[in-house]
Amino acid sequence: MSRRHAAEVIPEPSNPLGVDGIEFVEYATAQPQAFGAVLQQMGFAAVARHRSREVVLYRQGGMNVIVNSHGAPPGPPVLAAIALRVRDAAFAYRRSVDLGAWELEPHAAAMELNIPGVHGVGDSLIYFVDRYRDFSIYDVDFVPLAGVAPKPPALAGLHWFGVVQTILPERTRDWLDFYGTLVGFAALPHGRYFGVLPNGTLLESPCHSFYLQLIEPPSAADAAGWEEGLVRVGLGARDVPAAVRALAERGIVFVDRGSVQPSDKGALTQQYLGSVTFELVVSHL
Amino acid sequence: MNIDQFGMDTITLAGPLEAKLRAIRDAGFTQVMLNAGDVVGHPAGDEAPVRAVRESGLAVTGFQVLRDFEGLSGHLHAYKVDVAKAMLEMCRALGSHVLLACSSTSAHATGDRDALIRDLRKLALLAVPFGIRVAYEALSWGRHVSLLGQARDIVRDADRSNLGLCIDSYHVLAHGAGAGAVDGIDPTKIFLVQLSDFLWQETRSREDRIETARHYRVFPGEGVHSEEVGALVRKLDEMGYRGDYSFEVFNDDYKQLPLPMVAARARHSVKWIAGLVSRRSLPARRISRTAAR
Repeated sequence: MSRRHAAEVIPEPSNPLGVDGIEFVEYATAQPQAFGAVLQQMGFAAVARHRSREVVLYRQGGMNVIVNSHGAPPGPPVLAAIALRVRDAAFAYRRSVDLGAWELEPHAAAMELNIPGVHGVGDSLIYFVDRYRDFSIYDVDFVPLAGVAPKPPALAGLHWFGVVQTILPERTRDWLDFYGTLVGFAALPHGRYFGVLPNGTLLESPCHSFYLQLIEPPSAADAAGWEEGLVRVGLGARDVPAAVRALAERGIVFVDRGSVQPSDKGALTQQYLGSVTFELVVSHL
Repeated sequence: MNIDQFGMDTITLAGPLEAKLRAIRDAGFTQVMLNAGDVVGHPAGDEAPVRAVRESGLAVTGFQVLRDFEGLSGHLHAYKVDVAKAMLEMCRALGSHVLLACSSTSAHATGDRDALIRDLRKLALLAVPFGIRVAYEALSWGRHVSLLGQARDIVRDADRSNLGLCIDSYHVLAHGAGAGAVDGIDPTKIFLVQLSDFLWQETRSREDRIETARHYRVFPGEGVHSEEVGALVRKLDEMGYRGDYSFEVFNDDYKQLPLPMVAARARHSVKWIAGLVSRRSLPARRISRTAAR
């Protein structure tokens, strides 16, 4: 075997950060109780609160949702961050910044974890988390709520399926470059969709375990007032009708008119608190 | 072609930003190319120039200029990244969707192609969340990239959606190249075209090119290379370029003349170019029918 030549070009792995799914999504809201009630209807349970800030952790199955009210602006809740599970958070952060991501200023208080992150679309953030196996970030920064099961099971097998992002006209390639370069996302062939909202471009995570959907305004008329940002999460279910029934029993209302009515492929909830929707997508992930 | 495709550049005019915007608008232009110097140190603070641009009703062609970004390493690179981020933030605040970045003149910059590509990709990525496109321009005295063809190849190989080219007619003509310099360029990768002429036939040295570029440019139609400028615009038009043109005219005389007078000269230049391009691009049969009358 010959020794490797110094100038040998080795292609980068397709999953350079060792992405392994979504650790949590974070909503910012000045109405934590009302929003918490919506999450509970969606099958999540509050399991812990942050040591120093007005932040509550909700969970069901493998999904963690952080509801952050610390200095949250008034108005409807917004999807403020996605935390990616990665092999080495410090490496992921350094590599992202080296490639041109805008770094997030550290804001941990004493004895808290500093979760490294970079700026994403609009005002949203992308965090990198590498403690998600034996030991979790919640063990340090959160206090478990008394008398609550720490790991509530998922309703109807719900799991993360993806995140939907709106983008301005003719910006698909820009964002493909962004997510492709930083995280290793790759576009699915055009026309391949899941669920009941087959729009835009689907990007698959390098770990093949979740998707990002980029949506330009469907027409020039829709472009007015269209902003870039994270707009909703998609939850996967093996049996969408069963999940819809289970959630409807808990009071969740689904859009039942036009092309987005619940089907075997998926379903979309009504808007809660003026902005928040959840999408169900048939999934064997 | 009409005046809506052309912008005046604030660097051509003397005086405060508000007076420049007024003169440009009053001359009939609908867009303006802004310079960082117009907005930093504005006596009324950071918000005032943003407000002035918005209230002028002029669209922003682009924002200039990021210099000497690519090819640096270590602390010099980190320093330039900070500068680039500040420029991008100003660019966004002013409602500009194009940041002009000139090829490096720094003696500290490497010419290593992979390094140049890596740095330009980084600049493009920094600009993505802001919706800003980076227009890379070959300065005719650039240290490693001084020809349009070099910039074209680097932009092509960097292959980033929001990284494209700025073509400045001065830098093309100063090297003695003509309209053929744009051959082989994908028109969708041209993010901005800057036009100017100058008053002598040749620039004999690097120093001469710099001196002429910074002090002795004139509007197209006023210099001795106007035919070439016209040919360049015609060629870009034929290639399918439908983006913006801006007058990049650095001229010491114009900076001590009344603003309306200089803006009127710019307006005259638009008419000259538009006439040249539309006349020559008429279909042949239409010309012969007119001639037969």
